[in-house]
Amino acid sequence: MTLTSPPVRAEERTEPTGSTGASPSRRKLPLSPKFFIVAGVAAAIGYLALVPLGYLLWGTFFDAEGFDLGGFERAYGSGRMGELWGNSLAFAGGSAFLSLTVGTTLAYLNVRTAVPFKALFFAASIVPLIVPGILYTVSWIFLASPQIGLLNNFLEPVFGTAPFNIFSIWGMIWVEGLHSSPIVFLLMVAAFRSMDPSLEESALMSGATRLQTLRRVTLPLVRPALLSSVLVILITSLESFEVPALLGLQNGIYVFTSRIYFVFRSYPRDLQAAGALAVSLLAIAVIGVIIARLLAGRGTKTYQTVTGKGFRPRPLDLGKWRPVVGAGILIYFFATVVGPLLVLIYAALLPYYQAPSAEAFASFTLDNFRQVFEMDSAGRALVNSLVLGISAAVIVMALMSIAAWISVRSTIPGRGIVEQLSFVPLVIPGIVLGVSISFVYLRSPIPIYGTLLILLIAYCTKYMPYGMRYATTSMTQISSELEESAQVSGASWWTTFRRVLLPLLSPGIMAGFVYILVVSFRELSSSLLLYSPGNEVLSILIWEQFENGSFNVLAAIGVLMVVALVIMVTIAYKLGAKVGLRED
Amino acid sequence: MRKSRTVARAALAAGTVLVLAACGGSPTSPSADSGDNADSGPTKAEELYEEIGGLSGQERRDRLVELAAEENGLNLYTSMNADILDSVSEAFTDTFDIDVNVYRAGSETVLQRILQEQDAGFPGNDVVETNGSELGALQKEGVMAQCVAQELIDQVPEAGQSEAWTSTRFNLFAPSWNTNIISGDMVPTSWEDLADPKYDGQLALELGDYDWYLGLTDLWLSEGKSQEEIDQLFADMVDGAVVVKGHTVMAELMSAGQFGVAASNYSYIVEAAKAAGAPVETQPYVSPVIARPNGGSCMKNAENPATAMLFMDWLLEEGQQVIADLELTPAIAEGDALGGAELVAVDSERLLEQGDEWSAKYDELLAGAETIE
Repeated sequence: MTLTSPPVRAEERTEPTGSTGASPSRRKLPLSPKFFIVAGVAAAIGYLALVPLGYLLWGTFFDAEGFDLGGFERAYGSGRMGELWGNSLAFAGGSAFLSLTVGTTLAYLNVRTAVPFKALFFAASIVPLIVPGILYTVSWIFLASPQIGLLNNFLEPVFGTAPFNIFSIWGMIWVEGLHSSPIVFLLMVAAFRSMDPSLEESALMSGATRLQTLRRVTLPLVRPALLSSVLVILITSLESFEVPALLGLQNGIYVFTSRIYFVFRSYPRDLQAAGALAVSLLAIAVIGVIIARLLAGRGTKTYQTVTGKGFRPRPLDLGKWRPVVGAGILIYFFATVVGPLLVLIYAALLPYYQAPSAEAFASFTLDNFRQVFEMDSAGRALVNSLVLGISAAVIVMALMSIAAWISVRSTIPGRGIVEQLSFVPLVIPGIVLGVSISFVYLRSPIPIYGTLLILLIAYCTKYMPYGMRYATTSMTQISSELEESAQVSGASWWTTFRRVLLPLLSPGIMAGFVYILVVSFRELSSSLLLYSPGNEVLSILIWEQFENGSFNVLAAIGVLMVVALVIMVTIAYKLGAKVGLRED
Repeated sequence: MRKSRTVARAALAAGTVLVLAACGGSPTSPSADSGDNADSGPTKAEELYEEIGGLSGQERRDRLVELAAEENGLNLYTSMNADILDSVSEAFTDTFDIDVNVYRAGSETVLQRILQEQDAGFPGNDVVETNGSELGALQKEGVMAQCVAQELIDQVPEAGQSEAWTSTRFNLFAPSWNTNIISGDMVPTSWEDLADPKYDGQLALELGDYDWYLGLTDLWLSEGKSQEEIDQLFADMVDGAVVVKGHTVMAELMSAGQFGVAASNYSYIVEAAKAAGAPVETQPYVSPVIARPNGGSCMKNAENPATAMLFMDWLLEEGQQVIADLELTPAIAEGDALGGAELVAVDSERLLEQGDEWSAKYDELLAGAETIE
């Protein structure tokens, strides 16, 4: 292989833009289509974020008498607060580390190497995302509980009694880390896909080992994506209660979200205390976004790997490591997908859960599936969920692509705020989001309350932070020289955006779309407050089965969701493959 | 430099929100104008409740059916389980040919939704049917009006009678056990049994059941135990116990053999698992069974007040049989559904007044739950 041009560092290739040189569009009259689009998007983001944020802060700092900080005392006054935060941070840090390692490794192998079993990646990347947290966690209890865990039974002859204990901080990290690794995987796939392999090839040519290349070239180039992943996973794990409640409490491991749980159960709801707890998450998020911006801003060009120079992402040959990596992938696939899914299918076929035995297999029945299909509202709920999921994914990704341009590429004053605002909903508890939205639309003259539209607004707000992470990560990789060339050739801003940027952003947009579509199917906390008769969504039905105590019907719904969403995501990928960067 | 300006702007934006927020009262603090409806004279619905309140028996029923025919069906907000609700609303529709529009959510969410709607003057529902403590909260807000016939209220146990709502059914807290693990001597026969060290590693408690905690404390106090004795019993219970979140998960894990005894599951969830063939049991009940009243009432701003009244009357007459047929515990009980066990109700008023305190106390109690290895 011969390189046709000498290897150069990415930053040397692009002309500095931004603060030093005004782009041609800035000299135009402000009342251009660009102005309206940019202002409209910024206003939409501001509106979506400020409604719940305003409500949260208002509720946290003010009561009927005025300014009051009593909530902070009630929230943090407990003597156990140090222990709760310690557990929370260990749990969140551990989960972030695990999902980051797993997600990044898989994404790298998938995009950049000629690894075997590529089709499995697809399943491994979305199945844990589809299965509702509670089902995923309970499957792990059935697999690795010291008392009834199937894995423990199988492995007992080899490793002695109960080698695994899922009811420990390690078990919590394992389940949460695996459950959230798809977020990282999707983000990193997009980042690696937009990376010019010639940079790595140059390093290898110059005598660096594969490991050195990875450490000195590959990983630094995807730092914005890594940072985005850490930020999102840290905050979602800090907020997560399903896993700590089901796995930690059995062993007396309390996290700080258990405080929020108790605070929300009382009446009148102590929103001041709950808000006070959410405010600390907000602080972490704001600092995180600032750090991310500083890093990304410092090397506006460092991360730009999609440049005027054409490249074809070519897979790296793994050589003698191929079988080892292949085996690793199989193990991972069995651990995250096959194991929990088999347990779910097994539970869905049983009238009640029992350890596998001849008797258990004899009692297999399709009754649970029949019950799902006989539910009056199941069909309607599926349609509603589909409509909402697709609309939310499209709207969020459309808004966020432009927002990412504002935040990463433009020189508009205050552009940093757009990114900060788009991140805000991540720290707003679901119920506060629901209440704030109903508060506004109950008073709005436009009849949105009681329609599907109010759910759409809630979903768009809730998934905005994820969409923004996916879009900005991709945007930082696109060199500004492409945009400039288009404009120099006479294209308007809108044409440039549509014809140049959007196709180049497509790996990130696609990943964000898939993520939002899948997770919106299980959104419950705000859906439950905001739906109205006739507007049920799938997650409401799941919740109803849960309340009924029909865990096995729940497992059946989980299995059906996996089937339905795998089909839909396959279609989305097939459609998505028609635009943007292509592999060989 | 640019970065610090960005931070400053973010701070400014946050500050603006705070200032804007300060211009009004907090939306989350108990609303200052609660009970407003009562001050501005009776609503149309209240006038109807008043007028029909004078009638009884068949005359009352006939008049309500007549008036309901001119209204637009029933809007019901409830926390009843879907399978119970399906039977109830179907039976009502079959009897009167009136459509029932249902919003179903957990009791806390039902409360939140009604508070939000009432605050905005939005008449979303005609009837609310939910847990006693949430009804107590709504009673405090003054948004419901008593609309059940007095002769029916009189038949409900005292714990289920309240100024603005009436109990329709009871949720029962009873110990349950996995029959493969617990049999013979190990089967609990009293609440005190649960404190026995023989259940170490086998007993599960639920994370949110502070209402059960309050009910059992009251029961023991009424039996003459001192607070120290009671604290000791609970401490012994928690010692060696595991904590589980959610009653459904609790039943599922117990069926699977993760632990042997659940201290405070709802009897209907365990019964459902048993009906599916799971090796679980609640009977003979540990006496007395601790019951939490669930009930309902009509809204002061109901758009279909006659239908609302008709539904509440029906639920406490024919509806009671529908509830009993589902193996639940109707408020107006006939015969002995509990196999000789007594029933003690959790004090809804106290749960409402001191809920925070009890929730925090229960949280503290469970924090002492020890590790199982």
